[in-house]
Amino acid sequence: MSEKLLIGRTIDTGSWVHSIDPRAKMVAMMLYVVIIILSNTWLEMAYVILFSLIIISLTRIHIKYFIRAAKPLWVLMLFIFIVQCIKVDDKNGAILLSIGSWNLYFEGFKLGLFSVLRMVFLVSFTAILTFTTTPGRLNQGLEGVLKPLKVVRVSPDRFTLMVSIALRFIPSILEEAQIILKAQASRGADLRELPWKEKGKMLVSLLVPVTVGAFRRAEDLVHSMESRGFRLGEPRTKYHRLVWRKRDTIFICFFIVMLVAMVWMSGYGTGELWTL
Amino acid sequence: MAITFNQVSYEYDANSMWSQAALQGVNLHLESGILAGVAGATGSGKSTLLQMFNGILKPTSGTVQVLDITLKGGEKAPKLHQLRKRVGLVFQFPEQQLFEDTVEKDLCFGPINFGYSLEEAKDRARRAMEQMGLDLSLLSRNPFQLSGGQMRKVAIASVLTMDPEILVLDEPTATLDPVSRAELIQLLHRLCREDGRTVIIVTHRMDELLPFANQWIVLHEGLTVFQGTVKALIEQADRMESYGITIPQSIRYWRSLSEKFGWSEEDPCLSAEAMSKRIAHLVNSEDV
Repeated sequence: MSEKLLIGRTIDTGSWVHSIDPRAKMVAMMLYVVIIILSNTWLEMAYVILFSLIIISLTRIHIKYFIRAAKPLWVLMLFIFIVQCIKVDDKNGAILLSIGSWNLYFEGFKLGLFSVLRMVFLVSFTAILTFTTTPGRLNQGLEGVLKPLKVVRVSPDRFTLMVSIALRFIPSILEEAQIILKAQASRGADLRELPWKEKGKMLVSLLVPVTVGAFRRAEDLVHSMESRGFRLGEPRTKYHRLVWRKRDTIFICFFIVMLVAMVWMSGYGTGELWTL
Repeated sequence: MAITFNQVSYEYDANSMWSQAALQGVNLHLESGILAGVAGATGSGKSTLLQMFNGILKPTSGTVQVLDITLKGGEKAPKLHQLRKRVGLVFQFPEQQLFEDTVEKDLCFGPINFGYSLEEAKDRARRAMEQMGLDLSLLSRNPFQLSGGQMRKVAIASVLTMDPEILVLDEPTATLDPVSRAELIQLLHRLCREDGRTVIIVTHRMDELLPFANQWIVLHEGLTVFQGTVKALIEQADRMESYGITIPQSIRYWRSLSEKFGWSEEDPCLSAEAMSKRIAHLVNSEDV
């Protein structure tokens, strides 16, 4: 179970990207989302891919981890692909495949492929954020990024506390579930050896103890935090402080340049041949 | 020949960047019908080792042979249903594994999985409760309403209901009160001596198990650094500190006395009672 869970795991290679301020990384990722949405032609996509691969190689994390990060979403990607294939009804376009009265047009196929490509890069690339940042720093970064919300009276520390506790609980809850599964396997109900119907029943039976465990854990946590004088919203000193350095600005600049290039390219419609 | 490990290694998250070797080439051999203690510092691989006895974890390399079932590293495991019936495993903090809404249902879970009828399962549940010294009125209670100690005993009982030939326990006495601790160890000893079961216990408190165990295994950083009888353990006790284990008080006591009075040929007295008797015997015989 835990072997397959790649989300939220930091892979430390000590690269340049790892040392970047988490706030910079978050802003960069937001810019990246805009960049990938703006890319509408194959040429633009090629640039985005090149750009992504360069940044990915800067992290010095093996590319297979990025590919694996996108894997769990394959159902969604397949769905997007199929919808695109069905949706496009181009009367003059070339037909790839005909089933009864329905035609698969080349255009639809191309569009589907394009959307999936977008999705793959979106998910894999933004995994940089979690791969190169420890949860604690990530949370601090989130707090920093959310600071502007104070204007509208939303407290960022309340929100980040919630996020950090939720993130902290995921592995513990998984572990707790795994302990029960192992114990059940020892008592003759091995999830791997059961038929599908029994499997479902077993997983449902896990809900009660895992929920009870989570509540117990949450209560302990509240008490231990309160006994150490924690009060929400009170000013606190930080153990690690985020310092904005030149490299953080440079990192964001990469993305801004890329974004400007994208806007420019889509504005002028470069490369008619390449358009979809 | 009950359990044989041959060059067994285990890695968590094998084949990934986070792979962590927990066991590296463990060799051990345990006959059936013995009571064995497993000791080692934290992180030495004790819990990992235990989970291999009934195939919850499969070796990354090497061979594990338990009863007549063999698990080879890298090969697809055979069906383990029968193995699990014959080897009962009690995990660390067993109270975390309760999941049914009544104690009785939880106790019946194992036997029913192994094909016993509901009647028989309930019968076994009752017997296991009695064995663990639990009141039968608890059967209809929700396990989450029990006290920590009761939950632990129920969890151990839930493994006893399966009537396993080999019983493996991971620190069963931790967090129990002293009386329950002594009772539990005595019960396990009885299961071994009277019913001829093999009992394997991981422990941090070697003292409480020393009077009963006839075999000891010491792990250090994923390797078996010692396997043998209590006598051999006493002889090599000096090495223990380098494995991160403090020498148990009873061993220290016995050693200092046996050196002084030349008892090295005798069977060691490792419980307070046996020791006091031995000293009384000494005092009386030498007319001090």
